[in-house]
Amino acid sequence: MTTTDSGPGYEAGPPTADDLRRVHFTPASMLHPGYTDREVDTFVAQVADQLAALSDENADLREQVRMLHEHLREAQARPSPSDQAVGILATAQLTADAYVAEAEDFSRQMTSEARAQYEEQLVEARDRAGAIVQAAAEARAAIVAAGGAGDGPNTQELQEQVAYLKAFGQSVRVQLRSYLEALLADVETEWGRAHPAVLPPALAGPRDRDADRGPGLTFHSNAADEHPGDGTPAPAGATAGVVPATRSAS
Amino acid sequence: MRTSFGKAAAHGDQVPLWFYSHLFLTHPETRDMFPVSMAHQRDRLFAALGEVMARVDDLDALVPILAQLGRDHRKFGALAAHYPAVGASLLATLEHFDPDWDEALAASWAEAYGVIAEVMVGAADEAADDPPWWDAEVVAHERRTLEVAVLHVRPSQPLEYVPGQAISLESDLRPRLWRWYSPANAPRPDGVLELHVKARDGGPVSSALVRLAQVGDVLRLGPPVGHLALDTGSDRDLLLVAGGTGLAPMKALVDQVARHGPARRVDLFVGARTEDGFYDRADLRRLEQENAWLTVHCAVSQEKGSSLEHGDIADVVLRHGPWTGRDAYVAGNPGTVEDTVVRLSQHGVPMARIRTEVFAPSRPSPTVDGKVTE
Repeated sequence: MTTTDSGPGYEAGPPTADDLRRVHFTPASMLHPGYTDREVDTFVAQVADQLAALSDENADLREQVRMLHEHLREAQARPSPSDQAVGILATAQLTADAYVAEAEDFSRQMTSEARAQYEEQLVEARDRAGAIVQAAAEARAAIVAAGGAGDGPNTQELQEQVAYLKAFGQSVRVQLRSYLEALLADVETEWGRAHPAVLPPALAGPRDRDADRGPGLTFHSNAADEHPGDGTPAPAGATAGVVPATRSAS
Repeated sequence: MRTSFGKAAAHGDQVPLWFYSHLFLTHPETRDMFPVSMAHQRDRLFAALGEVMARVDDLDALVPILAQLGRDHRKFGALAAHYPAVGASLLATLEHFDPDWDEALAASWAEAYGVIAEVMVGAADEAADDPPWWDAEVVAHERRTLEVAVLHVRPSQPLEYVPGQAISLESDLRPRLWRWYSPANAPRPDGVLELHVKARDGGPVSSALVRLAQVGDVLRLGPPVGHLALDTGSDRDLLLVAGGTGLAPMKALVDQVARHGPARRVDLFVGARTEDGFYDRADLRRLEQENAWLTVHCAVSQEKGSSLEHGDIADVVLRHGPWTGRDAYVAGNPGTVEDTVVRLSQHGVPMARIRTEVFAPSRPSPTVDGKVTE
C-alpha cells in the first residue's frame, strides 16, 4: 500500500481527506485477486483510531466552548457593581461591625464587672462571717469566764447562732454564684440575639423574644415598657452596672 | 506589582472593605461564609496578602503556606468555583485604588492570582479524602468553675490528630466564628475529644461554649494543626508546664506517654491564680495514681491562705529542678510562656528542647486582633 507522499503509516496527525483519496492498495496475486487483506485491515484500524481521537477532542472542545459561553453569560449577568453600590454596602458593613463591637464591649464590661463584684463580695462575706464567729466565740469565752450559773441555754443559743451564721454565709455564696451565672447566661443570650443567623426565620417581633426564655434575668435597658411591672428584678442597664438586687436563689 | 499593592495598602482598612463589598455584590452567595462582623476578617485578609507579597520571590516558602491555607479553607465551605470570583474582586479592588492601573498590570496580577489559586485549590483537592469539616456531638458538658467548662465531643467520622495539636471549631451558637482549642487527650478508640474552654470576658465563642452549649449540640471541627507534638525522636524525661487551660495539650501529652510510651518520668506543673482555678484537679489526681511515673505539682500565684505551693509557675518549676536533662513543653498565656521559657533557658535547658504554645484570646477586645488559639 502506498500513498503519494508519506508512504505507509502517517508520521503525524490524522489522515486528511486528500490522503484518503490518494490511498492505493497493492493488487494481490493472480491467485487471490483484490487488495491485501492485512494492509487494508491495518489501514482501517489506524484511521479508526485517529478518527476516534478526533471525535474525543471535538467533544472536549465543544464542552470547553459551552463552559466559556456559560462563564460569559454569568459574567454578563453579573455586571461589575458601581462604586456607589460598593460604597453603600461598605458603610452598612461598618455599621454592623460597630454594633457587634459594641455588643461585645458591653458583654465584656458586664462580665468583668460582675466577676469583680462577685469576688469582692465573697471576700467581704468571708471576712464578716469570720468576724461574727470570732465575736461569738469571744462572747462565749467571756460568759464561761464569768462562770455564771444557768448559762447553759445561753451557750447553746450562741452555738446555734454560730451554726446559723455559717449556713447563712454558705447560702449567700450559693446565691451570689447562681445570680452571677444567670446574669452571665443572659448576657450570652442577648449577644446571640444580635446575630441575624440565630433569629427565627420570620424575624420574630420583640414581643416574642421572651417566650422561649428561661427564668433567667431580663435586661430592660432598651425595653423598659415591654414588661410593665412583671416583678422581675433586673439591673437597670449598662450604666447602672451590676446591682445584685433582691433576687432569690432559683 | 509591589508598587500597586503598596498603593492599595496605604489606604488601610478601606481596601479589604471595598474588596469584600465588591465580592458580596457580585457573588452574594459568598456572604454567608463570613461572620456578621467583618472587622477581624479584613485584618486577616490583609495579613495574608501581606505575607504572600513578602514571599512572592520565594516560591519554596510560599507554596507550603498557600497549601495550608487552601486545605484550611475547605472547612469554610470554599470551593474551586469561588476562587475566580475572589480573583475578579481582588483585581477590581486594586484597580480602584491605583490611578496608574493598566492592562499590563492587570495581566500580571491575574497571572499571579492564578498561580495562588491553583496551589490552594490543588492542596484542597489533595485533602479531599478527609471531610472538609467534622461534625462532632457534645456528649458531656461540665461546668468546673464559673469560667471553665470541660466538654467531651465525639466526631461523627474518625478525626486523626497528634496529641498537642490544636483543632479549630465552630458552633451554631456563634456561626462563622472559628476558634482554636487543644484536645486534652490522645486519640481514643471511641474518638471522643476532651476540650477545656475558658470563657473570656466578652469572648463570643468561648462564653457561649461555657455558658450555653449543651449535651447534644453539634460542633464543627476543622483539620488539626500545631507544633506542640511530642518529639518522637527523644525518650528523655519530660517537664510539662501549664498555665490556665494550657493544661489541655499537656494532659494530652501525658495521655500519649500513658498509652504509647516510651516509659519516662513526667513532671507536670499546673499554675493558677487561685485555688478555684484548678478546674481539673480530680482527674489529675486520678492520672497521678494510675501512673507511677507522673508527678503533678499545683501552684497558686495569688491566693494567700492556700495549702498549695505559692508562687509564679516559673519560680515553682525552678524550685523543684534541676531540669537540664528534660524535654520541656510549656503552654499558657503569653506572659507565663515567655517567663517560663526565659527562666528554663537560663537554667540550662537548651532552647531546641523547649516547645511552647501560647494561649491567647483571639479577640482581647472588639477592636484589637489577637493571636491564635482560643
